[in-house]
Amino acid sequence: MSENTFSPKILGFLCNWCCYAAADAAGVSRFQYPPNLRTIRVMCTGRIDPSFVLKGFLEGADAIFSGG
Amino acid sequence: MVTNADLLALEGKPGNFTAKLNIRPRYIDADACTACGLCTQYCPKHHVDPYNEGLAITRPIHIDYAQAVPATYYIDPSSCMYLQHDTCQICVPVCQSHAINFNQKPEARDLKIGAVILSPGFGKIAPETLEKYGYGKHPDIVTAFEYERMTTASGPFLGEIKCFSDGRHPKSMAFIQCVGSRDIGCNNGYCSSVCCMYAIKEALVTKEHDPDVDITIYYMDIRTQGKDFDAARERAEAIGIKFVRAKVADVTPWENHLKLTYSTLDGQHKFESHDMVVLSVGLESPKDAEKIADITKIDLNHYNFCKTDTFSPLQTSQEGIVVAGAFQGPKDIPESVTQSSGAASLASSVLKQQRGKGTVSKEYPEELVVTDDDEVRIGVFVCHCGINISSVVDCPEVAEDAGGMENVTYYTENLYSCSQDAQEQIKNTIKEKKLNRVVIAACSPRTHEPLFQETLKDAGLNRNLFEMVNIRDQCSWVHANEPEEATAKSKDLVRMAVSKAAHIQPLPEQTVPVTPKAVVLGGGVAGMTAALSLADQGFDSVIVEKSAKIGGNLQNLKNTLAGDEVAGYLKTLTDNVKKSKRIDVITDGRLAQTSGFVGNFASVIESGKGTKKKELTVDHGVIVVATGGHEHRPDKYLLGKSKKVLTQQELEKQLAGRAKNRAPDSIVMIQCAGSRGDDLNYCSKVCCNHAIKNILKIKEINPASQIIVLYRDMRTYGYAEDAYLEARKKGVIFIPYEVDRKPEVSQKSGKVQVDFFDSIMQEEVSFNPDLVALSVGVVPDGTAELSKMLKLPVTANGFFLEAHVKLRPVELAVEGVYVCGLAHGPKPVDETIVQAQAAAAKAAIPLVKGYVKVDPIVSSVEKDACIGCGICVSLCPYGAIQMIKVDKKRKAETISASCKACGICASHCPTFAISMGGFTNEQLVSQIEAFGNKKVEEKVVA
Amino acid sequence: MGKAILHREGAVMILGGGIAGIQAALDMTELGYYVYLVEKSAAVGGVMAQLDKTFPTNDCSL
Repeated sequence: MSENTFSPKILGFLCNWCCYAAADAAGVSRFQYPPNLRTIRVMCTGRIDPSFVLKGFLEGADAIFSGG
Repeated sequence: MVTNADLLALEGKPGNFTAKLNIRPRYIDADACTACGLCTQYCPKHHVDPYNEGLAITRPIHIDYAQAVPATYYIDPSSCMYLQHDTCQICVPVCQSHAINFNQKPEARDLKIGAVILSPGFGKIAPETLEKYGYGKHPDIVTAFEYERMTTASGPFLGEIKCFSDGRHPKSMAFIQCVGSRDIGCNNGYCSSVCCMYAIKEALVTKEHDPDVDITIYYMDIRTQGKDFDAARERAEAIGIKFVRAKVADVTPWENHLKLTYSTLDGQHKFESHDMVVLSVGLESPKDAEKIADITKIDLNHYNFCKTDTFSPLQTSQEGIVVAGAFQGPKDIPESVTQSSGAASLASSVLKQQRGKGTVSKEYPEELVVTDDDEVRIGVFVCHCGINISSVVDCPEVAEDAGGMENVTYYTENLYSCSQDAQEQIKNTIKEKKLNRVVIAACSPRTHEPLFQETLKDAGLNRNLFEMVNIRDQCSWVHANEPEEATAKSKDLVRMAVSKAAHIQPLPEQTVPVTPKAVVLGGGVAGMTAALSLADQGFDSVIVEKSAKIGGNLQNLKNTLAGDEVAGYLKTLTDNVKKSKRIDVITDGRLAQTSGFVGNFASVIESGKGTKKKELTVDHGVIVVATGGHEHRPDKYLLGKSKKVLTQQELEKQLAGRAKNRAPDSIVMIQCAGSRGDDLNYCSKVCCNHAIKNILKIKEINPASQIIVLYRDMRTYGYAEDAYLEARKKGVIFIPYEVDRKPEVSQKSGKVQVDFFDSIMQEEVSFNPDLVALSVGVVPDGTAELSKMLKLPVTANGFFLEAHVKLRPVELAVEGVYVCGLAHGPKPVDETIVQAQAAAAKAAIPLVKGYVKVDPIVSSVEKDACIGCGICVSLCPYGAIQMIKVDKKRKAETISASCKACGICASHCPTFAISMGGFTNEQLVSQIEAFGNKKVEEKVVA
Repeated sequence: MGKAILHREGAVMILGGGIAGIQAALDMTELGYYVYLVEKSAAVGGVMAQLDKTFPTNDCSL
């Protein structure tokens, strides 16, 4: 059994103009990163209501990522 | 768009040209190619990759880079085995979409056109010039263009910087400036105007890669004269990049290093060893400049760039043919972009009679009405993207999983969802299965959402009944080694999208009509040029000038550096403005108030003083800000205290007078007086040229005059370098001073005395000139007040901040408001004219359309829930929410045309009264809930 | 080989598909004209597409 069995569930809110674009660019460059992130695209991180973050935790996220 | 094409001939006259083109074959059918890249993998032959400056190897069949447009591969015939030796053809069966066609032949095509814009870019400095710096003799001497590719994360070395000689990471690097520029040895006397910037950029990037690397930039003058460019230079100095003012004589290999021989200003010769040397190569006129000139019959200047003049910087010697970009003269991206818009403005005036006649408009079927009562019928399409997705993600499993989700009535897979046939299939499926929501799991919505939304429209569905899942760029490509996890992620993302899709509503396409009129603030050269350009394109404008007379700063100038006489030009310009039926001028005017948004502004303009004071309300669609600036007057160097201390503008006036002694026998000029870190924190871009212009005038009147110029960097960029050289040849002495050792001016018994450190002779000097001229810089006029009124951001230096410094240089943050001239930043008259023409082109866009389209993802306020607290109004960065009175209660209302859909208002509304189209609380919450649905616990593999 | 002749009123030809040509093409389209963007290589983009980052903000250039 490996020591690193903790595989966190991460919910990410990505800004369409920067972070979402950067995530696309990471793909274009074939950068590899762990597949733990599930993303929601928003038009701006300003859209993120604090309740979305709480809701995410309630739904079982181990971490919330906000990229903008 | 016609690629792979050469212009063979151009005939005709403005409004009616015929261009003959030869289109070279790509050997790949552009419509069928899906850019999957399989062909390149199979192609057995190597091909040196020019996109990567020859630093990498690709195949004859390739695409330059992933984002290339058209996104179609092509075969370079110079190295293809079939086209050269009639063998191979392995790519033909490999291509799944049968796109490869070796039977393609060159095609001749004639274009009937009304106007031509030349933008062929620039060429490369000849190898002979580079050889002087050892290029080609040692692998660690590279050009800055090669170095750019080396540092690029997506480049051939994934951004790892290594010496070519032995693969070690360089610990000491040198940048040599002015390679192939300011060099009459290779007949490039001009300054390329971009190298200082890219060298600093590349040095900064290098430091990001490895903070310990030692970087020295060898330069003659650092010319970071552009808006806010000096700040980057200071940043570079702050992190330890060294700037050495020296001429590099020679670079020679020395053990496993490179030895630089250079001479400094004080005449010393020095040596320094470096691991890698980057040559900051200049911009050359395009390789085919002469051919283009031959075909189009335009004149070139003595450097083989396109010839234009100061007052019509984009007009070639042929009517109907305009120029933009580096072919007009070496320049950076924002200048090029500005010129392009300016050129569009000129071409538009040539063609205005034919406007709109050649464009195609598309018709759509009537939109299906989808209401809340309708059953939600979601169709899920999972794209394989050739093997881009399906080689990692188990697409059938994802599709099947989607099929089991609530509301999903149909699911399928496509090889390429974006291909023409798949589009047809999607359209038919929407109709057959009566789908009213579509979810496509493929690549990025940032690139493909518009395409699929178009498909929905074609099928009669509102384009917003669509949701896209990114299982390529953000899944298969980044989890290539974890297929199971990637499949699980895809399923989750699809489930989240399906869940959101169930809540999406059709959003109406909104359009707002436009009042076809402009208000131009400022009646200087910028404002007048903008108004005239708009008039040429058929639009009315009102110029609001704060003084009693239009003309602005040009009234203070006599000549340009290129020798053109200003007064005559100014008279023509003002006469044209006064004559134009499309331009109203309000002098002694002031913008008192503006309300509204792009297309529908209403402004109150006050004019006159005292009893003659009047107010006028103007309805207009756009605003051009051309409020200008004026000469700064620093309280330094005895300016205003001694009659013998003048500004350059005052000197110019004196030189134009008739008095005999107007050009005295000895003059000291002090550059950057009050600029670059003094009263003003920036470089004013025009002062060096202004000084040189006055110097040449003085030398013309009084050739014996002794002139000393104390400077920090002489920024005679572009062709102005010629004049700088001429001044030097005429015996003018240029002495640089350091910022911590500024010259001092004092007055003793009626004589002025200048004390300075002579960095060439390395000694303190006292000198009593007849006159001291100060180059004082430019400050903007009244930007603070206007910025408050129109909610326009300004830079730390008080100039208006453009929407994007590179790509939207004349647009401001508020839509429908454009900027040009000194209000944007210090600049010479030719750049001001170009910028004014560019602002006119941008301003004409909404006026031409007659309406502004509002993306339906904007915010909307539910009036019943709104409590009128006004938080949203204070937070909105775009001024897109206003308070209105409804039944005597304060309510917020979105100005849709100004809204950028950021959602700050929605996330801060305490009563959830604000919602974002396409990103409602309901939709996002359901997406989050769908995220929680996943039983990740089971997936943790022990 | 047949010769295609394209004729549209209100058309402009832009020679060179670098950043300058692309911007001019976008503006001309928005101003209501038909644009032929003629580029000698296989893709538009010019030199700017080769740049990694741009001065002075070091933003990505693509």
